[in-house]
Amino acid sequence: MQISVDRAKCDNHGQCTFSAPTVFRLDDQGILQYEASVDDSLRADVEEAADVCPMQAIFITD
Amino acid sequence: MIHIIIRMRHNRTNDEVHTMPTEIEVPYLDISDPAFSMHSEAVRRAREQHWYAKTNYGYAVLRHQYVSTLLKDPRLSQGSGKWPDHNGVHDGLFHSWWTKCLLVLEGEDHHRIRRMLNPAFSLRHIEAYIPQFEALAEELVAGFLDSGECEYVNDFAEPYATRVLCILTGIPESEWPTIARIAGTIGLALGITIKDELPEIEEALGELYGYAEGLIADRQANPRDDLVTRLVEANRDGDSLSDDELRNALCLLIFGGMDTTRNQLGLGMQTMMHNPEQWELLAAHPELARNAVEEVMRANPTTTWVTREAVVDFDYEDLHAPAGSTVHFFTQVSGNDPEAYPNPEIDITAERAPHYGFGGGMHHCLGHFVARLDMAIAMRVFSKHMTNIRVNGQDEWLPDSGNTGPVRLPLAFDKR
Ligand code: HEM
Ligand code: HEM
Ligand code: SF4
Repeated sequence: MQISVDRAKCDNHGQCTFSAPTVFRLDDQGILQYEASVDDSLRADVEEAADVCPMQAIFITD
Repeated sequence: MIHIIIRMRHNRTNDEVHTMPTEIEVPYLDISDPAFSMHSEAVRRAREQHWYAKTNYGYAVLRHQYVSTLLKDPRLSQGSGKWPDHNGVHDGLFHSWWTKCLLVLEGEDHHRIRRMLNPAFSLRHIEAYIPQFEALAEELVAGFLDSGECEYVNDFAEPYATRVLCILTGIPESEWPTIARIAGTIGLALGITIKDELPEIEEALGELYGYAEGLIADRQANPRDDLVTRLVEANRDGDSLSDDELRNALCLLIFGGMDTTRNQLGLGMQTMMHNPEQWELLAAHPELARNAVEEVMRANPTTTWVTREAVVDFDYEDLHAPAGSTVHFFTQVSGNDPEAYPNPEIDITAERAPHYGFGGGMHHCLGHFVARLDMAIAMRVFSKHMTNIRVNGQDEWLPDSGNTGPVRLPLAFDKR
């Protein structure tokens, strides 16, 4: 599956890292880093991350 | 959610600021002076002068860009866990609840619980409550619309904020006055009189436990399509919330979601009364209501500051805060920072940099979609029915720092 985070919206709150810690993480500067392409077995976790993001910045593109 | 009462009452002083010798002149703000105001020229000057100020209780971050970055810094923790102990309360029901609350937990203990609560508070699930929020707003407004006046806090904001939480948790709405009383009594725990008032506080918390435990037992036996059922069934990688964890969380969200929403509704009304042309714009374009909520929370937030404690020695640019220092984030001041908002006048159509009225980072408000939607509906319903809203008699306000808002706000209006 393909993931894209709208950087203009994302405010680095890190709530997505709780739902899908292997896909989303905050780096040393507190900036969100993420895998743009991940195995489909993670779909439920990534959908949950997109759902709970306070800024609604996460989009699943396929 | 905690600052008002605490503000005047801390009088320990070993949190005095220690700074390295430096060329930069850092402004100083006396935040425990009863006359201290977030809206003052002194605060604006301080923000112009430097990105943070020293205060008699730690540091205050003033500029938007720095609030945005540092509010989420893992070297700063929420820091209120030790509050009961510092006031002589070392055990008992309140102590055990508070020290296990999401708000004060840190690290994996916090994230584990937050991970299981978050999905039930997602936009998707909360949007389903819109028709109920709207019916409630209409019902309350119908109670005073024909009279042309109301006392906004008593007649609307308080019952609305409380009944929204009843709707959300499945507590019968008719019991809202009891819930409001309980939450008010538990709130006494955030003042320095916590120890004297402990018996009352614990009785109220015990009552709230009773509601929460009843709901949990009922949804375990009779699952339905609602928030408590979703929390009962929340399960991550074989882990789930224990009954105690869930009870603690339900109590926290009732406690944390009520005064905040009531106060923010009052501040939103204040802002819109000062901007009647924006009010008319909203009435003509009800789809702007959600953006209007963002705009009033940016300019006029109830949580005017969020407090953190440095876990380790904390260095950032010219700020050197030893471990244990208090760092305040002044959200009202950063929300009106001309560097981030060159045109700070209220404009409900503007696309703005985010505000921090819901805090930020790991402790970002759990109930923000609830608050955002219920307040948008309240504004929409009011603007649909009322115009020329004005203060009609003696209003009363909490101090404008800490958690602020109206205590009493009598209004008159013309029915549309
Ligand atoms: C969210 C609001 C606040 C919470 C939850 C909170 C909680 C706490 C806690 C848990 C401590 C003990 C920390 C420690 O020394 O281990 C503390 C200490 C203290 N707080 Fe607050 N506080 C808040 C806001 C404030 C405000 C607004 C002021 C001042 C105007 C203030 C002034 C102090 C002072 C002077 C101490 C003593 C520091 C020390 O003993 O070293 N606090 N507070
Ligand atoms: C306008 C209304 C509200 C405002 C202004 C507000 C503000 C805040 C703020 C500033 C924080 C972060 C505190 C900190 O970082 O120190 C917070 C946390 C929290 N809020 Fe809200 N809140 C509101 C409504 C609600 C509602 C309706 C609920 C529940 C349904 C709620 C539940 C919570 C909880 C559980 C936390 C703790 C989250 C954590 O520590 O992970 N709030 N809120
Ligand atoms: S939860 Fe949303 S805003 Fe927060 S870091 Fe993740 S994508 Fe960004």
